[in-house]
Amino acid sequence: MATIPLSAVDRFRDILGTDRVLEQHTERLLYGKDGSIAEGDCGLVLLCETTDEVSACMRAAHELGLPVVPRGSGTGLAGGAIPLDGSVVLSVARMRRVISVDPETPCAWVEPGVLNLDVTTGVRHLGLHYAPDPSSQAACSIGGNVATNAGGPHCLASGVTSQHILGMEIVLPDGEVLTVGGPAPDPPGYDLRGFIVGGEGTLGVVTKVCVRLMRDAPTVTTLLVDFPSVTSAGAAVRDVIAEGVIPAAMEMMDRTMVRAVEQFVHAGLPVDSAALLLVEVDGTPAQVADQAAAVERICRDSGAASVRTARDEAERALFWKARKNAFGAVARIAPNYYLHDCVVPRTRLVEVLENIAAIGERHGLIIMNVFHAGDGNLHPLIAFDRRDPVQVEKVFAAGKDIIEACVAVGGTLSGEHGIGLEKRDYMPLQFAPLDLDAQCRAREAFDPDGRLNPRKVLPAGAKCGELILDAGSLPEGTWL
Amino acid sequence: MSAVRTPATREELAELLRAASAEGTPVGIRGGGSASRRGPVTDPPARAISTAGLARILSHEPADLTVTVEAGCPLGELQAALAARGQTWMQAGARPGATVGGVLSTAASSHRRLRYGPVRDSLLQVVLATGDGRIISAGGKTVKGVAGYDIPRLVVGALGTLGVIVEVTLKLWPVPASSGWFTATGDVARLAELGEALRRELHLPAAVLLEPGRLSVEVIGPPADLVPPDGMAAGDAPAAPAWDAEMTVGVPPTRLPALAADLEALGLPYVAELGVGTCRVGVATPGHVAAVRDTAIAHEGHAVVADAPPELRDDPWGPPPPGVALMGRLRDAFDPAHILNPGLFIGDAVRSVA
Repeated sequence: MATIPLSAVDRFRDILGTDRVLEQHTERLLYGKDGSIAEGDCGLVLLCETTDEVSACMRAAHELGLPVVPRGSGTGLAGGAIPLDGSVVLSVARMRRVISVDPETPCAWVEPGVLNLDVTTGVRHLGLHYAPDPSSQAACSIGGNVATNAGGPHCLASGVTSQHILGMEIVLPDGEVLTVGGPAPDPPGYDLRGFIVGGEGTLGVVTKVCVRLMRDAPTVTTLLVDFPSVTSAGAAVRDVIAEGVIPAAMEMMDRTMVRAVEQFVHAGLPVDSAALLLVEVDGTPAQVADQAAAVERICRDSGAASVRTARDEAERALFWKARKNAFGAVARIAPNYYLHDCVVPRTRLVEVLENIAAIGERHGLIIMNVFHAGDGNLHPLIAFDRRDPVQVEKVFAAGKDIIEACVAVGGTLSGEHGIGLEKRDYMPLQFAPLDLDAQCRAREAFDPDGRLNPRKVLPAGAKCGELILDAGSLPEGTWL
Repeated sequence: MSAVRTPATREELAELLRAASAEGTPVGIRGGGSASRRGPVTDPPARAISTAGLARILSHEPADLTVTVEAGCPLGELQAALAARGQTWMQAGARPGATVGGVLSTAASSHRRLRYGPVRDSLLQVVLATGDGRIISAGGKTVKGVAGYDIPRLVVGALGTLGVIVEVTLKLWPVPASSGWFTATGDVARLAELGEALRRELHLPAAVLLEPGRLSVEVIGPPADLVPPDGMAAGDAPAAPAWDAEMTVGVPPTRLPALAADLEALGLPYVAELGVGTCRVGVATPGHVAAVRDTAIAHEGHAVVADAPPELRDDPWGPPPPGVALMGRLRDAFDPAHILNPGLFIGDAVRSVA
């Protein structure tokens, strides 16, 4: 395990004090992991509380030539926050102030450690909410959401994180502090704000975020639709979109997942269903009536066995609890899971789902599906036991097959989790060497020394076109 | 008058750019030419490249609400083809003669931005010919995707200074089955108050537009929702502005009513997009340009000269935004010889002032 020189540790202690520089082995171990299955090697942990501290730490790291991995809540699923080779982890989890709320724009400036759900909770009494709602929203931070360009069920109609960030303050790798964007739209020059969102901590450390808030819809209706097959549910999704109905959310769960969730949440889900669709429509009463009727008609035409409408807010909350606790419920099936995040054209949904089922059978693995069907964002989840090396090998092999199957129909590697470490070596499936080189050059405009979250997002050799790839296995420098 | 080349293939385009970069010859990029009176006044570049030869609609997937189209395709032609299948590129701002590439390069959003967002949110994938003639692709054809850096967003509004947009995949919307305009007349204070109240009370109005003496609200929804709000009557869409030269202003949306009042005091015509924070202003003299900019800055915003004759373009951008040095490094990454659209990169103006 690489160690940080003592003189460097002292330098950070001068900035943060002794309590907020963690160097003990056990403390560092905790910061070697995130929400993915791999584990890395953390050299030192910095717990920053202000922009000035982040800037001073970044300047010190710049002068000392140390690699830095920015970290929010550490719930990311692509290994984006995993430090390699003893990198310094700079955590913004303690930067948790809501700086200001402007209910008229409406927008709010928040610090990056503020949890996603806390933004909405803090403005609910104003009839406002923050739209992107990842399943981890009670634990994930706004800073992390900005880094991964996070999504969630309600991004179908309202768009992913990049559409909800008006501006940010960012500390560049040399410590320079920059404010880009804000409530005034379209500042002259390039859209740095838009480029920074989704930068996965490789462009700078975001220290303040201006989030766009949305007014709550006057009416919401949530439908739970039971299908006799995954194919018929997939066809219903395709037909709803093709008819021009864009629901607020349209989520699918297959039989294995429904059963696991029902045992865990007791939401009264039909456990004999082959596939469930959770469809939410919102808007004015007239819009909701129109859209709900269209969704119900299309679902019945596709062979739906039953359509149940949430009677009240409590039942609606229960449906969503079932959906958002799906990943937790997997613990009843196997101790670990590996979650994929491909997106395919909605017109290809049915064939891809059939293909994924076949991949599971071929590798002898349990693959469950719970995903954002409305925008074609699949989340095949492979349940496994990491203590069994044979299973682990199969999990990686099946994952590779799934990703290749999705890209083959015109899909993309990630819809909302990011590339991080785990999909880095798959990037050449989607991008030609010149494309990767261009991304590399753009990244270097921010971080010429390559010290910020090194070895993430782009495969080794991306710049010169001599790629060193290792897709379908645990990334080098990590272990289980 | 510079020589205009019209490449028929992207490879031919890339070859022209490669040669120009090697020689260090500046190249002007032309789409429909509908928004080309912009940026500081410079000598016309020796060469110009038109995207008119790259104008095909490559694939429209109605069931997936996406279209892949070449940059030189006229916006009107694309929208007509989409409308035939009941769909539209909702976020695109229209000017007569504009091309798809031009709409994106100038980040021209439609008047329905309040509900549907800015045009940059509609771009899923871009194929770009860089200044040094590399053809690169970024983003993906699916409606959602976070693989790799968001080069598509960077290109929107870059005025062709990072590369020539060759091909794009766009996210579409269904053409609304029914919509309606409602209008009210009166003085700016009363109309602004009414408009601000309506953007809170109506659920996602498509547009709330304030002009001197008139407020126009567009509502999209089923017929039951298309009833005039209190104080308004059914009316027509606002007429296209009659001015020749235009500035675009961006201020925090809460400052827009006050900005509108200041513009009326200056006697300038305008269209303010309430709730969005953008405002188009008609100007005729250098004094107007300075006054509009001072007003925008006083309201914590900015004002750029978007379309105007040379005498109004002494200082088209105003104070440089934060991060100009970083923007310069991004430009170096995409157009290392700085041949594309001389003058239209904001950092050039900063350099020449310094």
